Amino acid sequence: MIIQDNLFLTRANPSGQGGFQFLYRVNDYGLSALSGPQEEISMIHWEVEIIKFTDSKTAGFETCHTTELANKTLKFYTDKSLNEFIQKAFQYFEELNSLEKMLPDET
Amino acid sequence: MANVKGSSVCRTAVDEGKPADWIPGGEKQTVVDPMKMFHELPREKLFITGSEAARESMRRANIDIAIAYPITPQSESMQQAGYLYDEGYIKEYYRAEEEIGTFSAISGASRAGVRSLTATSGPGLMRGMEAISSWPGARTPIIMLNMCRVINTPLAIQPDNIEMSFMLNTGILLLHAENQQDFYDYPLAAICASEQVDVTLPAVVSVDGFFCTHARGPVEITPEEYKLPPRDGWRSAVPAMDNENPPARISRDAPIQKSNFISYHMHSSWQQEVFAAVERSAKYFRDYLGGLVEVVNPGAEDFIIASGCAVSQAREAIRQEGENGRKVGLVKVKTIRPFPTEEILDAVKGAKRILIPEFNQAGWLHKEVCSVLYGRCNAVIKDGPRVFGGMTMPTEMILEWLEEFRKEVK
Amino acid sequence: MSLETLRPTPAFKDVLPIEYSDLVEHGPYNNRGGDGSKQTVKVTDMGKFKEVIEEHPMCAGCAMTLFIRLTYIGMPNPEHTIVVGTAGCGRLAISQASVPFIYGNYGDTNAVASGLKRGLEVRYPNQKKDVVVMAGDGGLIDIGFQGLMHSWFRKEKFTTIMLDNEVYGNTGGQESGMTNHGKVLKMAPRGKFGDKVDALGLAKVAGVDYIARLAPTNPARVARTVRRAIMVAREVGHSYIQAYTSCNIEYSIPTPDVMKDAFEIEKERYGFEEIISPAAKAYLDEVEKKPKKKKSD
Repeated sequence: MIIQDNLFLTRANPSGQGGFQFLYRVNDYGLSALSGPQEEISMIHWEVEIIKFTDSKTAGFETCHTTELANKTLKFYTDKSLNEFIQKAFQYFEELNSLEKMLPDET
Repeated sequence: MANVKGSSVCRTAVDEGKPADWIPGGEKQTVVDPMKMFHELPREKLFITGSEAARESMRRANIDIAIAYPITPQSESMQQAGYLYDEGYIKEYYRAEEEIGTFSAISGASRAGVRSLTATSGPGLMRGMEAISSWPGARTPIIMLNMCRVINTPLAIQPDNIEMSFMLNTGILLLHAENQQDFYDYPLAAICASEQVDVTLPAVVSVDGFFCTHARGPVEITPEEYKLPPRDGWRSAVPAMDNENPPARISRDAPIQKSNFISYHMHSSWQQEVFAAVERSAKYFRDYLGGLVEVVNPGAEDFIIASGCAVSQAREAIRQEGENGRKVGLVKVKTIRPFPTEEILDAVKGAKRILIPEFNQAGWLHKEVCSVLYGRCNAVIKDGPRVFGGMTMPTEMILEWLEEFRKEVK
Repeated sequence: MSLETLRPTPAFKDVLPIEYSDLVEHGPYNNRGGDGSKQTVKVTDMGKFKEVIEEHPMCAGCAMTLFIRLTYIGMPNPEHTIVVGTAGCGRLAISQASVPFIYGNYGDTNAVASGLKRGLEVRYPNQKKDVVVMAGDGGLIDIGFQGLMHSWFRKEKFTTIMLDNEVYGNTGGQESGMTNHGKVLKMAPRGKFGDKVDALGLAKVAGVDYIARLAPTNPARVARTVRRAIMVAREVGHSYIQAYTSCNIEYSIPTPDVMKDAFEIEKERYGFEEIISPAAKAYLDEVEKKPKKKKSD
């Protein structure tokens, strides 16, 4: 099973194409891990986006390709490699959060 | 005494092509009470495809015989049944010649008094429809997994659940799984209900193909060392065709013979009994599934009534409506037959608007709901959105329809 | 049925249905030596013992009826037999027998029998249950062709008996695949196009272990052939009997001449023939040559 920590929302693929989407959240950042259907079951894989939430409470988010974690959609073919990436991302998000807190409030 | 010694022999491990010390998987399992399996046993959470969920369900279902014919997207599950046969969880298994052969053979197997499983998809279901529609009248408990797929020309292999409408009036118990989890739970529940003495009917568990069968989803499963009790061929509304029942002449199918020597009301009372048995199954499904419906946000003014994959899309839609401060209710219909008339009436009694999204062109669920709510509910019932032929139903589509609906019906 | 599990208390014997008692005490149930391979209710005694089938609504003089009666006499263990049939004349009689009868959809017999036989083997690993398909030429060679052939290819362990009246009798006389070339019948107004299907040849190619063709001219031979076919299906593989069972109505055979026709057709093109695989032959030799042993118990 994939990591359950920081899991903000599990839902059916909102595009309606089947499969499930897992939204992980660490403060304002997070990641979306999507697993959709494949005609060949062995081709089932994860599509992962780094995301930035637009609201402190809801699941609204924007895709974020500007972090050091990823500048594009990532693909993982095993749960193990996904979990490793999620762990790495959590650590990064924590660091990012403390860094952002150090920045002067631009507003 | 005839054949006391028995010219036949129990098949050994070697007969099965296994080492002499091989123990079939099924023999390592412990029988557990169905209610305990459904509600008490600990569960492990996995992330698996619908076909794999079906396999784990079959592994625990104490299946005696499985027969199927390949068709996309069903094949994956029945290949898995083949592996279970090889591991000794299913006692007998073969690939039949085609669907009429498959569904006829499985009815023969059920008549022998053993637990019988088959599976199919769209066009395969239509090909075998004559055999399928004869199952209930023959009072054959059979479990069929149905991975829905387009049946119309032009040929396609995409999800579309129009085929379910062809089973509505056959006397079959018909369940509609929303996701991989349901595709694990429902077959087990359907088997137990179908084999009750006051039911003795075939059951079909449908799932929207590809979206569920060929995609992974979270599934909580019970430990594999537990299995359902075996089918008891003696507990049945009609005797098994095993020639073990006195008195001498038993032609179970006799009442369904020719009208020139069996009266017409013999046939009509037989049909009435079949459909009454469908209704009697409701109490078992209530116990096994915790209700024929699931209601989210009871008391809402806006309601969505859905089954299958449409439920998942509706769930996300009402979650997003909730984020925006609007309460929208959801009735998930788990059993299409028996149809949960009273449950639906009760859930929507205060509703103003009811939306029925579906994955088929005909809107069979809309018609079903209308037929039971007509004159008994004040809500306006809107049919849609409908997608078919493999089209998808994004969450936004349901949200747009809800918004439009609110404008139409103030 | 299991006469072991169904042993009525002597005190209740007089309230048992007379049909049941007669079948056990004066009929083919439980009236077999050892493994059931020996015939102890004799065809020559017909009329003197309780038959598995007695009443039926078949036409007067119907050869098929005679053949069906003989088939039931030939069954090695009718109390452990299930017959599968389909729409057609035959089932009008078969459904009246004291052996369970499955009347399925048209053309589904050999598929139903495949599932039934396998199911019974799972449920009764220590009790052989004989499954016999008895259906017409149309039900087997036309609409049931696919199921028939595939049950042969799979070597399903049951017996198929074709009641070949060379016509769709029950639906009113249409030509079938087993009708002879040129025969004028309904749906063949200019005569049957094509030849009578060589079902025996197909059975041979498909590897059926015991194949027999016969006409009901020799009652003892019919019973023996049925018994051999069922015994082979029990232990070796599939068996197939093709029987000429004329339709005196659609072929306008005067009722008193039905047997005369059977003898003529037999002589002309329906002679007795057995095609037995080496495995089936070895098995039959073993069963049939076994000396009768009377056990002291």
